[in-house]
Amino acid sequence: MLRILKPGLQTSIQDGGRSGWMQYGIAKGGAADPLAMQLANSLLRNPLHHPCLEITLTGPEIEFGCDLSIAICGAQFDLTLNGQSIENDRGIPVKKGDHLAFGPLRSGARAYLALSAETALTPVFGSFSTHLQTGFGGYCGRALRTGDEILLRNCRRVEGRKLSNAFELRYAARPQIRVIDGVEAEMFAGTARELFYRTTYQASAQSNRMGIRLAGSGLDTEGLPQMTSSGLCPGSVQIPPDGQPIISFVEGQTIGGYPRLAHVISADQHLLGQLKPQDKLDFFRVDLDTAVRILQEKTAVLRKLTE
Amino acid sequence: MNPPFTLRQNGDTALDICFDATPGESLSRVIISLKNALELAIQRGEWPELKELIPAYQCLTICYSPLAAHLAGNMPLHQRIREFVADAVSAKRFPDTLEQADSSQVVVIPVCYEAPYGPDMSAVCAHTGLSQSRVIELHCKPDYLVHMLGFTPGFLYLGGLAPELECPRKEKPALRVAAGSVGIGGAQTGIYPQSTPAGWQIIGRTPLTLFDPQRENPFIAGPLDRIRFVSVNAQEFAAMEESAANTPPPMKESV
Repeated sequence: MLRILKPGLQTSIQDGGRSGWMQYGIAKGGAADPLAMQLANSLLRNPLHHPCLEITLTGPEIEFGCDLSIAICGAQFDLTLNGQSIENDRGIPVKKGDHLAFGPLRSGARAYLALSAETALTPVFGSFSTHLQTGFGGYCGRALRTGDEILLRNCRRVEGRKLSNAFELRYAARPQIRVIDGVEAEMFAGTARELFYRTTYQASAQSNRMGIRLAGSGLDTEGLPQMTSSGLCPGSVQIPPDGQPIISFVEGQTIGGYPRLAHVISADQHLLGQLKPQDKLDFFRVDLDTAVRILQEKTAVLRKLTE
Repeated sequence: MNPPFTLRQNGDTALDICFDATPGESLSRVIISLKNALELAIQRGEWPELKELIPAYQCLTICYSPLAAHLAGNMPLHQRIREFVADAVSAKRFPDTLEQADSSQVVVIPVCYEAPYGPDMSAVCAHTGLSQSRVIELHCKPDYLVHMLGFTPGFLYLGGLAPELECPRKEKPALRVAAGSVGIGGAQTGIYPQSTPAGWQIIGRTPLTLFDPQRENPFIAGPLDRIRFVSVNAQEFAAMEESAANTPPPMKESV
């Protein structure tokens, strides 16, 4: 069992997400940074999409009710286990009664706590992920609260692994996000597209798992035709009439009607999960072949690390 | 109907099959039949690289794994899709899926158009130049066709809005509207199943729960079904809401 002593800002159960439900309006969901989640699971030799706790901006305090191993990847918090400092990116044995505390956030936005145990939860639409916008899946369809107890099965100790230093995740305060042209890119005036790539945007505090709202140079959408709504994929950079881009994210809507100027390549979408309010970001345009090549490269590295 | 189509890239993990035809019932029948045909092929194991099919008014979006598509070999994905669609649209593969697409039902949805349930009703009256009672009358008149589900879980995209009721979307989307809110955006009308951000003008609210993952059928309707709005007053709304609230909530967790 795992008891929540303090919940943190938004701590929820997430896994690799659900597949095949977008035609009913249900986004894939799952970890906002699936790379960090998979690394955390790999350190415990879990299946890579095993459910984890996704910890956002302000971390929880947790008491463990059984002996098991844990691993934390992604955002860097000051971490303590029974008051002793511990680190990200390695398997850590914990005993029944141990107390894990997340202190101040040092980099990134979301950490993933993997457990060498199964959560006694029921999958909804084929996934343990919490759909926070709609309120289903995970633990009672919501973020964890003080006093919640997540039942665990098959708690076990595993021989902890450590991620090699070269692959410890560090997050730039101002990441460069690679994009390809969005579906409606050519409908925008050349000047609007230039301005988009020239602008350093800032992630707004209104961002969440549904969408990342950006603030920066407003883009002119004057003269763009009203669009007929169509399938919208995560990573799409939409420009609503106020000109401030919104990136569709892991719990994003499945159909949209705003013109899409760009699309964050799927290989870089995990970086979006580490943006916190006020973080700056720049967009860099690549072509489709490059996007696929980067995805192949990142997938190969992950495969090697998790072998 | 055998409309011409083009393929367009939608990000690095999806292709849109876009039909060059006016949105409407016959085009939606083509798109839903195509989706059903592809689903059957996926069930037969023919398209391991395909992850999602999202039908819409003029397009069918096909999400794929670029890595699997790359490994799937000889012919590029867009070429294989093109051949499949050409075959399907020329009716070679449709007969067995059309029947499925024809089993539609009419779903009646009560809506309260009174304050405070329709915060943008006055904006819609101002834009259309119609009285509130005329807006309600026109909104309740047609049987709307469900073109597709999407946006958020269980949201229905409906066709058939009276042209007199067309209203532009909001300049800046509202950060949150109540679950069950009924809105108009451009030439479209619909119901927000959850409390979400919303770009449409809200003219009323239904007490029905449109999406419930614990229900045997989590969705109130499917593509090609029909929706009929019936105006109810605030008292009727409150009574319906209360009776819904008195129904024991479904088990949320087995923990």
